[in-house]
Order: sequence, then structure tokens, then C-alpha cells
Amino acid sequence: MTAPHRTGGVNVARPLVYLGVAAAIGLGSLLLPSTGAAPTPPAPAATAPTNTPGVACSEVKESLRPEGPLPPPGALPAGSTMARIAARGRLIAGVDQGKYLVGYRNPITGQLEGSDIDIVRRIAAAIFGDPNRVQFVVLDIADRQGSLDRGQVDLVVNSFSVTCDRQRTVEFSTAYMAATARVLVPVNSGVREVEDLAGKRVCTSAGSTTERMLRALPAHLDVYTLPGIPDCMVDLQHGKAASVSSDDVLLAGLAAQDPQTHVVGRSLLLSYYAVGMRRDTPDLVRFVNGVLEETRADGSLAASDQRWLGRLNPVPRPAPARYRD
Amino acid sequence: MSTDVATRPPVRRAVGRVVGFGLLGAGTTPGRLLRVEAVLVLAALVLGVLGVLGGMSRVSAVHDARTRVAALTTGAADLYQSLADADAMATTGYVSGGLEPATARARYDDDIQRAGRLLTNAAGLLPAGDPAIAAVSTVGEQLPVYTGLVENARALNRLGLPLGQSYLASASKLMQTRILPAVQEVRTAESATLAVTYARAAAIPFAVLAVGLAVFVALADLALRERRRTNRVLNIGLTVAGLAVLACVAWWAVAAITADVRVGGARAHTVAGAALDDARIAVLQARSNESLVLVARNSGGGSSDAAFSAHMDDVVNDFGLLAAAERADPELTDRVAALRGAATAWGAAHRDVRRLDDGGQYPQAVASVVGHGPGTSGGAFDALDAALDRTIGEERNAFAVDVEAAEGALVALPWISAALALLAAGAVIVGIGRRVGEYR
Repeated sequence: MTAPHRTGGVNVARPLVYLGVAAAIGLGSLLLPSTGAAPTPPAPAATAPTNTPGVACSEVKESLRPEGPLPPPGALPAGSTMARIAARGRLIAGVDQGKYLVGYRNPITGQLEGSDIDIVRRIAAAIFGDPNRVQFVVLDIADRQGSLDRGQVDLVVNSFSVTCDRQRTVEFSTAYMAATARVLVPVNSGVREVEDLAGKRVCTSAGSTTERMLRALPAHLDVYTLPGIPDCMVDLQHGKAASVSSDDVLLAGLAAQDPQTHVVGRSLLLSYYAVGMRRDTPDLVRFVNGVLEETRADGSLAASDQRWLGRLNPVPRPAPARYRD
Repeated sequence: MSTDVATRPPVRRAVGRVVGFGLLGAGTTPGRLLRVEAVLVLAALVLGVLGVLGGMSRVSAVHDARTRVAALTTGAADLYQSLADADAMATTGYVSGGLEPATARARYDDDIQRAGRLLTNAAGLLPAGDPAIAAVSTVGEQLPVYTGLVENARALNRLGLPLGQSYLASASKLMQTRILPAVQEVRTAESATLAVTYARAAAIPFAVLAVGLAVFVALADLALRERRRTNRVLNIGLTVAGLAVLACVAWWAVAAITADVRVGGARAHTVAGAALDDARIAVLQARSNESLVLVARNSGGGSSDAAFSAHMDDVVNDFGLLAAAERADPELTDRVAALRGAATAWGAAHRDVRRLDDGGQYPQAVASVVGHGPGTSGGAFDALDAALDRTIGEERNAFAVDVEAAEGALVALPWISAALALLAAGAVIVGIGRRVGEYR
């Protein structure tokens, strides 16, 4: 220690120096940021499907003629598409599971049923002799062509209407049913024609022929799309849509599930449902047309329509077969 | 450090001139003694105030962490898990066809009840202005909408109408795109709050330690100089004051180190627990996806199995959630190994499901998913989920032990600080007062 200056050792400066240094340290520590990063768990991401409309064309081609009588299940031509399917052990069919009466999953049994499903089972029976040798693949409306292009399915039976545009990539069978586009509205809505829906929200399935038709109407509808017609029905029941537009057979299935709705208005667009297949399997197209010929001849096609769509007035009748060759 | 500064003559003289002449002036020895006494008493009281405030801040931080923020964080994780499970159960119940299995229905009901309880708890724990309030409100508003859609789907299913499926799909979409993200927001916000709280509870107490040491050095310096000047034995008052200040500093150091160790442990258990919570959520999402792919019946198409693999990879890969839990809490090694085993078993059962479905054996695939027996995907999932649940419970218990110990180490700090500081101040008054009295 150094000697005290002037008078004695007691000096108030000494404790003040110590305390000043401490105060500086204390205040400095307050300015230090308190650190601590929280772990952030990863969040799931979502993707949306895209829909590309094709260029319009007008000339619809007829289908391919069956080659004589159908071969029996055990004697399919060697090397044919049918023989390949038979060797696989099951037919892979693209269908819907939400279109009541046409192609739907019966929630009681868990089985797929409807007029489209009957056609799939009939084709399976012609190949295997067993209508249950089918693997059903449920498709979005907008994915029907794509599933064929990818080779995900052998054929599509999913209220698939024949259009010139779709024929660029899809070979259709002969038509098995005719349908017309109309609108479904709540019974108390007062809507009688599509023009009464001007400025109102009208829902239909993305990528359908109905979508293009509605957008071209002069009635100025507020058209929007969802992946499937039943999704539109949920919106209608929640008041988010004023109307659902689609083919009469599909709308009849919706009205049958909700007595507070009905189908109104004129026929907006006539279309023909057919089985869609790949263009590089013409032998399968001819074979399916042979199966359809049989169902027309033995009355089973009409019986199936009566069973599922008997409540429609009039009941859709099997369309006649037309061939281009 | 402060002694270095004080023993450097030029600095001492400079400060002595400024403070000594400028503020307090020169004077007689008793006058100087009284001024020194005032400074030291004031310093001891400042030490006491710092100790009380700092101690109370730490105690309240760790108490808040223990009773509120940690409860909110784990509550939000449980809420997420309940809601994701409810959605998985609703979907799985549908895939089986017919009336949904009673077990799936019961588990869905339990999940929704638990979610309601957790939501009420969370709302009660949130103070006004908490950033998570909006997200909790969203969950509260949308949950009844969700259950409404699910019940509507059930009613339609009972009528044999396929529209029920569309209601179920729109319920699931609401859950996945609005409700669960809101719960995740709450988790994120409360995890951030918890991290800040831990930092507050375990910060190094610079202010208390620095002021305490400074007061002690000043007291020691004064006592030694007085002894040399008057050539007498140690002044009892100054000695007691010095010891009290030293005890205060030592208590703080020991409490802060103990709390730091315990808070570090609690933090590790929190991080490990959050990783396990995330793992359980990822497993549930994988389970939902497994069912959804079957419900969609689109084998090889858009509703792909890729999401299952992605979720499970998040859980088990070398830098995944289980690895993160093990890194945070090395004691989990055995548990994590068991969880990996259960995840592998489920992965194998799931591959069988996919093989069956892709091979056209849809009913067999469904049977494995909704089953509970050995070898079924449902059974393997149940085993993995139960193991995760157990491990998460253990981790939360370990957290509770650590955070209670941290609070125990800190809880006496404010009172000890106040008592020792007052004792020091009193002892300074008595000690210096006796010296001053000798000059009368």
C-alpha cells in the first residue's frame, strides 16, 4: 500500500472507486442480450393440382368395330392387351367413388357400386370369367386422361364423355350412356333456369366438359371448380354455392342424397359416356366394344341403368353403337 | 480487478482530487470517516436491493417456466397430438367400411374431449397480450366446425350415402390447413417464451457479484488502512460487515451455479421432449397418410405413399427427430434404440400394406391397417405410439425434477440478500461509529 496523502488514511474516494467499477460492470451486464433460440418443428407443405385445357376441335370420331364374336375368357388372343391383363391377374380400372348411383363407395359395405362399376365388372368377367378380378383406382375428374397416359390404369369408366379434344390422347369405346348437363339448386331458391343464376356462384368439377360449357354461357355465372362434384355439394349445403352444375345422371345422385335440392332448367350440353382407353391398345377397345355389344343385346346394360338410375325421368337409355370402320 | 485500479497511484490521486475536493471537500478525520460510512452503508443497501430484485426476477422466471410456460408448451404439443390423432381415427374408422370400429370411435371421442380440456387450460394460462391468444382463438372457433363436419359425415355414412366421404374430406382439410397450423403457432410462440425464461433464470448475476465484491474490497481496504493508521486489532463492525457481504456473494454464486446446472438440465429435457413430441406428430401424420392413401384408392397415383416415407424419415434418419432427442439428452440412448426398433417394425408392416394394395389385394391391405394384432400395420403403429407416449412422459418428469430443483436453489435468494445486506449496513454503522466516537 502507498502512503496516505496529506492527512491520515481515511478517504471516501477509495470505496467510491471500487463501487464505480462495480456499477460499470453491473450496468454493462444489463446491456448484454439474453440469448435463447426456440426449436421450431417443421411444418407440412401442401401442393395444388394443375389443369390445362386443350385447344377446341369439333370432329368427334366414332369407335373401333369388334373383331367378330368375343373370345371366351380362357382363349384370349396371344400377345393381346387382354392376354397381358389376364396374365397380371386383375383388371386395373379408373373410376370414381363419390358419384352416387354411378360410381360410388357404399359406406355400409365399403364396396364400390353404380352403373359405371357394373360395366367394369362386366369387362372383368369377359377377361377372367370372374367379375371381381378388378383393382379399382379412384381418379380425380381432371386426372382421367393423365392416368391413361401414365399407364396407371388399363381403362377409365368414370362418366367419361367423348370429346374431340380428349380423342387426341384417348381412344373411346362406343357410348354406353347419353347425359345432358343441367343445374342443381335448393328447392326453395326459386331458380328455374340457368339465367336465374346470373352473378351467382356455380360449382362444377375441374377439367369437366361442363366447366368449359358454363364459362362459355352468356348468362354471366360466377363459375368455380372443385376436384369433384360431391365437393360442390358440400359447398351448396353450406350456402357457399348457389348451384351445382353437371350431367343430369350425376345431379340425380346428389338430389337423391338431399331432398332439399332438385334439378332444374333445360339441357345445356348433350354428351355421351364411353370407356376410355389408351390409343396404343386398339385391341382392347375392340374387345370392350364387343362386351358392350353383348350388354346391349342381352338387356343387362338397360337393366343396370334401370336399377341405378330408375328414379330419373326419363331413365337414360343405352346409346346405339357407331363405328368408324 | 478493482484493487488493481485502486492501487495505481496516478489514477487514485486523480479520482481523489476530483471526488475528494469537488464533491465532498476536505475535512477532519471524523468528517471523512462519516462520509466513508455513508458511502459504505449506501453501497450495502444497493447490494441488498439488487439482490432482492435480481433474486425475485430469477425466482419468478423459473416459477413461471415451471407452472405456466412449460405447461403451455407441452399442452400445445398434447393438443396437436390429440387433434392429429382424432383426424387419423376419423379417417381410419371410415376406411374399414360399415359402421366404424368401436375402438376407433372411442379413441376419436377421447381425443376430442382431451383437446377441449387442453384448450381450456391453455386459454386460462395465457396472460392478456400473449402472442398465442389469436391462434388459441382460431382453434376454439374451428374445432366445433370440424366436429360438426365429422358428425355430418357419420350421419350420411349411416344412411349409406357417399356424400359422407366428402364431408370427411372437408373436415380433414380444415384440420390440416387451419386448426393444426394454429396449434403449431402456439407451440412455437411458447417455446420461444420458454427459451427467454430459461435465459432469465440462468443469467450470470454480474451486477450482484460485482457490487458485492466491490463493497467487500472497500471494507477490507478501509479496515486494513485503519488498522495500520491506528495500530489496533481488527475493527469488529467492519469484520462482520465484510463477512456478511462475502456470504451474500458466495450464496449468490452457489445459487446461480446450481440454478444454471438445473436450468441447463431442464432445457435439455425440454429440447429432447419437443423433439419427441415432433416425432410423435410425424408418426401420426404418417399413420393418417397410410389410411388416406387407402381411402383415396388411388394406388400409384396422386395420393402417394411418399408422404409416409418422408414423415418416417424425419423421425429415424441420422439427423432426424429421434437423433435430436438423443443429442439433447444422452440418457435417452436406450429409449431411442427401442423407438427405432418399433419404427422399423411398423415400416416393415406398412411396406406389406403397400405391397398388398399395389398388388390388387385391397381388402387385405385394409385389414392390416385397421387391425391390432401382431404383424398388422395397426398393431405396429399402436406399439410405436405407446412407446413414444411413455418416453415423452419420462422426459417431462425429468424436466419437472430439474426445474423444481432450480427453483429450490433460487427461492431463498431475495430474503438472504436482504438480510445479509442489512446486517452489513448495520455493522458498518456500529464499527465506524465507535471510531468516530473516539474523536469526541
